[in-house]
Amino acid sequence: MIEIENVSFYYQGNEQMGAVNHLSLSIPKGQVVVLCGESGCGKTTVTRLMNGLIPNFYKGDLTGAVRVNGRDITKMPLYEIAENTGSVFQNPRSQFFNVDTDSELSFACENLGYPKDEIVARVRETVKDFKIERLLGKSLFHLSGGEKQMIACASVCVTAPDVMILDEPSSNLDVRHISILAKIIQKWKAQGKTVIISEHRLYYLTHIADRFVCLAKGKKVFDLSADELRKQDTEKLSALGLRTPDIRCLEPEHAGATGKQSLCFEKFRFSYKRQKECLQLENFCVPKNEIIAIIGNNGAAKSTFGRCLCGIEKAGLVRDGDMTLSYKERLKQCYMVMQDVNHQLFTESVMDELLISMKNPDEQQALEILAQLGLSEYAKRHPMSLSGGEKQRVAIATALASDREYIVMDEPTSGLDYKHMKEVALCLKQLKELGKSVFVITHDVELIYHCCTYVVHIEAGKVTNQYAIDKSTHTFLRDYFLLQ
Amino acid sequence: MPASELLASPSNRKGIRFDPRTKLFLLITLCTLILSTDNSGLMLYLKPLLALIPFVLLLLSAKYWAGFLYFVLYVLGFVLELSWGAFGNGVSGFIVLMVSAIITRFTPCVIAAFFLMTTTSVSEFIGSMKKMHITDKITIPLSVVFRFFPTVKEDAGAINDAMKMRGITPKNPMLMLEYRVVPLIISTVKAGEDLSCSALTRGLGAPQKRTNMCDIGFHLWDWLIFGICFCYILIFCFQNQICSLLNL
Amino acid sequence: MNSKIGAKDLITLGIFTVIYFVIGAALSLLVSIPVMVPFFPAIWALINGTVFMLYTTKVEKFGLVTLMGVLTGLLVGLTGMGFWCAPTGLAFGLLGDFIMKKGNYKSFKHNLIGYAIFSIWTSGSLIPWYFFAQDTLAKYTQGGYSADYGTQVLAYTPWWSLLLFVGLNFICGLLGALIGKRIMKKHFEKAGIL
Repeated sequence: MIEIENVSFYYQGNEQMGAVNHLSLSIPKGQVVVLCGESGCGKTTVTRLMNGLIPNFYKGDLTGAVRVNGRDITKMPLYEIAENTGSVFQNPRSQFFNVDTDSELSFACENLGYPKDEIVARVRETVKDFKIERLLGKSLFHLSGGEKQMIACASVCVTAPDVMILDEPSSNLDVRHISILAKIIQKWKAQGKTVIISEHRLYYLTHIADRFVCLAKGKKVFDLSADELRKQDTEKLSALGLRTPDIRCLEPEHAGATGKQSLCFEKFRFSYKRQKECLQLENFCVPKNEIIAIIGNNGAAKSTFGRCLCGIEKAGLVRDGDMTLSYKERLKQCYMVMQDVNHQLFTESVMDELLISMKNPDEQQALEILAQLGLSEYAKRHPMSLSGGEKQRVAIATALASDREYIVMDEPTSGLDYKHMKEVALCLKQLKELGKSVFVITHDVELIYHCCTYVVHIEAGKVTNQYAIDKSTHTFLRDYFLLQ
Repeated sequence: MPASELLASPSNRKGIRFDPRTKLFLLITLCTLILSTDNSGLMLYLKPLLALIPFVLLLLSAKYWAGFLYFVLYVLGFVLELSWGAFGNGVSGFIVLMVSAIITRFTPCVIAAFFLMTTTSVSEFIGSMKKMHITDKITIPLSVVFRFFPTVKEDAGAINDAMKMRGITPKNPMLMLEYRVVPLIISTVKAGEDLSCSALTRGLGAPQKRTNMCDIGFHLWDWLIFGICFCYILIFCFQNQICSLLNL
Repeated sequence: MNSKIGAKDLITLGIFTVIYFVIGAALSLLVSIPVMVPFFPAIWALINGTVFMLYTTKVEKFGLVTLMGVLTGLLVGLTGMGFWCAPTGLAFGLLGDFIMKKGNYKSFKHNLIGYAIFSIWTSGSLIPWYFFAQDTLAKYTQGGYSADYGTQVLAYTPWWSLLLFVGLNFICGLLGALIGKRIMKKHFEKAGIL
C-alpha cells in the first residue's frame, strides 16, 4: 500500500522542472501502475518520492506525506526504505556499482549486512528465477544494454522487496529486451509485488498494467485502466505528450522512397581489436536523399555500421553516383549524431558550437540555420543546459553549419516523449528537404512511422531486409516491433 | 565497443592464483627496494635476484609472452648497464647509462604492477582490502574508481571520435584541453549521480557492518612469496652487518 | 549539517578521484620522456585545477581531500611508480583539508591555497628519482672517466633542487586553481551541474 497525500515538491534551484503540485495518489498492494506524461511533468519526481531519493538525495521544498505500508518514508533514511523497496533506473550504463555480475547481484545484501550463506542462497534463487545463469561470472562491461538492465532488475530482487519502482526502464532497450522486461514485470505482478513504472513507451505495458496515471505540470490529469486508455482519442493522448498505447494502429504518414538506389556501400567489413568480425556488409545500395531507418537487435552492429559510414572506423567504400568516397573523405562529408550527444558538444554557447563547425565562421549564416531548426531562442544558452531533444537538434545544426551531405543519427529519440520525438522527426524532414541523406539507427517505431521513408534491417552484421515504407511493406515493420 | 578495465575481468585467469595481498606486498617490497635505494654494497647483487621474482610469477600465471618480453628487456638493460663504458664517456655513454639504468630500475616494478593488475579482479582486490580491515572510507571510493575507469576511458574515446568527426582541431592547447576535459567531467559527474542513486537505493550506507563475500586466503605459494620478501627486507636492513661478517 | 562522511560523499569522492587520476595519468603519459619527469608533478597540478575546483563545490566535510590524496597515492603505487605518494598524499591532503576547512570549503581564497598545498603530494613521485640520479651519476664518475659531464649533470639535481620542484609544483597549483575557476564560470555554472 502506497499513499501519497497532498504532496508538493520543488527542486532546489529549478522551481519548474519536474515539480509536483498538491498530488494525491493511493496505490493498493499488488497493483501495477504506469506513470506517464511529457518530460518534466513530474513522473520521475513521483518515483523519487516513493523510493526516498527525495528528500534524502535530491534537495528541495517538500510538503505532505508519502506512506509506504503505513510508515511515512519522508522521515526515513534510504537504507531503511531499501529493505522493502527496489529501484531500477533508466540508464543501464551508469547504474551498476561493481565490475562483475556476481558482486553486483550480492551488492544489496552485502550492504544490509546479511550473513554470507544467506546471500549465496538468495543470489542462486534469483539467478534461477531470472534464468541468467549464462551471465554469471562476467564483466558487466562486456554485456549489452539489455543484459545490463536484466542484471539491474535481478540485483534489486535479491532482497525480495515488495515494492518495485522503475524509472523509464525501456529507454535503452531493443525490442527483444523490452519483451523480456515485460515478462519480468508480469512475474512480479503474479508474485503480488506492487510495481510503479514511469515510462514514455506505453505499448508494452497495456496488457500488464492495472492503471495508467497521467501527469501534467505536476498535477494528475487522468487515472485510467488499460482498456479505458485504449479507448482514448489518439490526438488527446499526443497532446499530453504520450506515445501510442497500441502500435498496431500506426500508419505511415507519407509516401515511401521512390528514387533510384544510387548510394552504394562496398566492403563494409569491420572487427574490433582481437574480436571476430562484427560487420560483414559486402555490397548494398539505398536511395539517395531519403530518411533511412536502420533497425535490428542490440549487437547487430548497427552503430558499428554508422561509425564506418562516417569514417570514424577505417572500412569500406561509398559510391554516390560517380563519386567514390574513402573513409578519409567521408570524415569530411558525413556527420554522426552520437547516442550520447553530450560527447560532441564542446563550447559555452549554442552559437559558438555552430561557429567552430564552419570553415569561415559567419554569424549571420549561423543564425539562419538556428532559425531553420527553431533553435533561435537557444543561441546564447550553454549546450549542456538544454534537454535531450534540444541537444540532438543542436548537433544537427552543427552538421548543417559544417555543410555535410550525409547525416547519421544513433538512437536520437531514446527517452524522449511524444512532443520531443515529433520535433526530432520534423528536424529530419527538414534535412531531407535540404537535400541531405539521413540515416537513423533506432528502436523507436513511432519515429520511423513519423518520418522515415526507407528501412534497412541489419542482423548479425548483415543486411537481412531492405524496403521503402508504404502501405504494403509497413507490416514487416509492425511484425518486427511486435515480435511476430 | 569492448571496454578495457583497469583490473582483470573475472573470467580470464589461468595458472596459479595468488592472494591479492601477496601480490600487493610483493609490489610494495619491489618498489621500495629496487626503486628507492641506491646500488651500494650487497644491494648491487640482490637487485637482479629480486627482479627475477616477477618473471617467475608471470610464468606461473601462464603469461608466457609478457614474461619473455620482460626477461629480454631486463637482461638487455643489465648488460648495457655493466658495459656502458664501451660507448665512451661523452653524451652517448651517458645516455646509454641513463636508459639502461631506467630499464633495470623501473621495469621490475612496472611488471610487478602489471602482474597484480592483470591477475586480480576488482571483487578480489576489494575483498582483500576488507580482509586487511581497511576502512570503508577507502574501499568504497576505490570500488567506484575501478568501476568508473573503463567508463571514463570510453567517454574520452567517444569525445576524441567526435572531435575527429567534426573536424575540430583548435591550435590553442588550452582550448584543446578544455574541449576534451569539460565534456568528460560533465558526463562523468552525471553518471556518478545516477550511480549514487542506484547504490543508495540498494542500501549502501546502512549502519550494519557490510558482509564480505570474498573467498580468498593464503596458500603455500603465498607463504613462500611472503617468506622471500621478508628475507630480502632483512638482508636490506642488516646489509652493513652482513658485509662486515663476510669481509666484503 | 551532518559532519560525518556518508555513502553519498564516498561515491562523489570516488568519481572525482577517477577523473583526477585519469587526466593526470594521461598527461603524464604524454610527457613520458625522462627529462620531463621532474616536471610532471607541476603539470599534474596545473591541469587538474579544474577538476579539483569543481570537487570543492561538492565537498562540505573534513577529510574528503585527505582521502583523495591517499587514494590517488595508492593508485600511483599500483602503476608501479612506488608508493611514496600515499604518505605524501595523506600529509598534504590533511594540510589542504585544514586550510579549506578554515573557509568552510566555500571561500575561494582558502580553496586556492588549499589546492596548491594539496598538490604538493605529487612531488612524492620524485623521491625514487633522487636515488636513481645519484646512483647513475656515482657510477658515471666512478667509471674512471673525466667527471666533466657527470658533474655538469650533477649540478642539475642536487638535493635542494627538490625544493625548487616543490615550489614550482605549488605555483602551478595556484595557476591550475585560477584556470579552474575560469572554466567553472565559463561552463559548469551555465551547464547547471553545480
